[in-house]
Amino acid sequence: MISDITIGQYYKGDSVVHRLDARMKIILTVMFIVMIFLCKNFLSLGFMFLFIMMAVFASRVPLKMFLKSLKPIIPIVIFTSIINIFYISGGQVLLQWRFITITEKGIYTAVFMAMRILCLIVSSSILTYTTVPTMLTDAIERLLSPLKIFHIQVHTLAMMMTLALRFIPTLIEEIERITNAQKARGADFESGKFIERIKALMPILIPLFVSAFRRAYELAFAMSCRCYTGGEGRTRMKQMKLSFRDFVALLIFALGVAGVILLNIRFGALI
Amino acid sequence: MSTVILETQNLTHIYSKGTTSQVDAIRDISLAIEKGELVGIIGHTGSGKSTLIQHFNGLLKASSGTVLLEGKDIWQDKKNIRAVRFKVGICFQYPEYQLFEETVYKDIAFGPKNMKLSEEEIDKRVRSVIRFVGLDETYLDKSPFDLSGGEKRRVAIAGVMAMEPEVLILDEPCAGLDPRGRDTVLSMIKQYQKDTGSTLLVVSHSMEDISKIATKILVMNQSRLAYYDTVDRVFSHAEELQDMGLNIPQLTRLFMKLKAAGYDVDTDVYTMEKAKSELLRLLRGGGGK
Repeated sequence: MISDITIGQYYKGDSVVHRLDARMKIILTVMFIVMIFLCKNFLSLGFMFLFIMMAVFASRVPLKMFLKSLKPIIPIVIFTSIINIFYISGGQVLLQWRFITITEKGIYTAVFMAMRILCLIVSSSILTYTTVPTMLTDAIERLLSPLKIFHIQVHTLAMMMTLALRFIPTLIEEIERITNAQKARGADFESGKFIERIKALMPILIPLFVSAFRRAYELAFAMSCRCYTGGEGRTRMKQMKLSFRDFVALLIFALGVAGVILLNIRFGALI
Repeated sequence: MSTVILETQNLTHIYSKGTTSQVDAIRDISLAIEKGELVGIIGHTGSGKSTLIQHFNGLLKASSGTVLLEGKDIWQDKKNIRAVRFKVGICFQYPEYQLFEETVYKDIAFGPKNMKLSEEEIDKRVRSVIRFVGLDETYLDKSPFDLSGGEKRRVAIAGVMAMEPEVLILDEPCAGLDPRGRDTVLSMIKQYQKDTGSTLLVVSHSMEDISKIATKILVMNQSRLAYYDTVDRVFSHAEELQDMGLNIPQLTRLFMKLKAAGYDVDTDVYTMEKAKSELLRLLRGGGGK
């Protein structure tokens, strides 16, 4: 149900990937994305796939967890594949029947798109499964800090993100609690027409909003009581330090990107 | 012989079965609650109290075992579960956070409206129940969000009482209230039971509160049913209760200390009257070192 949402879900572990610096992990994820979109033929696609699987195994997060995060996007994958099969044309015609034409290039593109979407999800899941959300936002803040030149409040944005992530489980719990309370008063969420069902949600949504505002006020008070004034001059409890391990990972990924490019050049582009 | 209204047979509930975070919330609970009792449910945090009560109106379905309401399995007909919820009313912890309507009147009427009662009947119930919880009719037009914490709590409890369930379950009705608010709510509960003769289950972790109102006490310990008996008999297990980390009432503790010091006194004392008579007996030379 609602608790199946895997956004910002951290899988506790102590693998090499877990111990990498969060900033480096974000950079590596970007490199993953570059690799995913660079592949132009099956060899480079396969190489990229193996590379991602290597990272999956290095993270020691069970494969089941990744499958769970892939489940919700399967309809999207199927939809884009079908669109690609019918709309991309080029190369040898495989099937022609009335207005439907399926070509070699259409099939290839569909396969590549499906693989790319799946790999995108898996690679970003590696990041969220192995990094504590607070570390992640912290890292984003550090990486974005050059934007301060343009007077963008990077710290405030990162703090908002941290708080939002922090309150997802709390609010889910709250929804369950309110739902139970209203069910106990005979509220019916399962039957009725569409409009009636939406109306039936009001007894949950209103208390939820009220309590979200209450929590926000309480939190704001608690923060100002501890003299929070924003990012200026703030120090950190956990200092981020790049270690030797991080540079090794960067090197491996650089080789990965180079490998994909080489395979592309050597064996030509399919799509 | 009074009749049994609510019964459980070997009730077991396991959260997230088959995963690493598997928790046995309640294990093998069999009990029979008789009509008209006021049962205090007591247990340490995480002992399974809340899980247990959520089975009574079908908010949770047991992993195994059955819940019988008036002799019928509540899950016999899945579609009928709402009818069960009208018969077994639960008011959860901090019920003030479930208020949502524009006026107190509408909020109290939410439950009865779901029961598809007539307008007149709803009106009658709302007006009688608001007085019952110690507020007057001027409150009915106010927004529930403008009330004080204690008033909100009473309105929320009124919302469940207005459904006139045969079994009313209150989960920690006194949590977070000041001593006076606590006494008001407790006497309200006692009065409600007297007036309606319905069965009440009150969850609490304060023995002090429970002993003031309950006729029977149900003790949960580590997911299991430890005791279900009259107040006297449960308190006669004072030492075991303390081992479970439950605070027995101060008076009982005092008498246990007296006994330990060599005085011949009963240890199942939890009301002032009993304490008085027991002490007088002792002073008149009934016991002594």
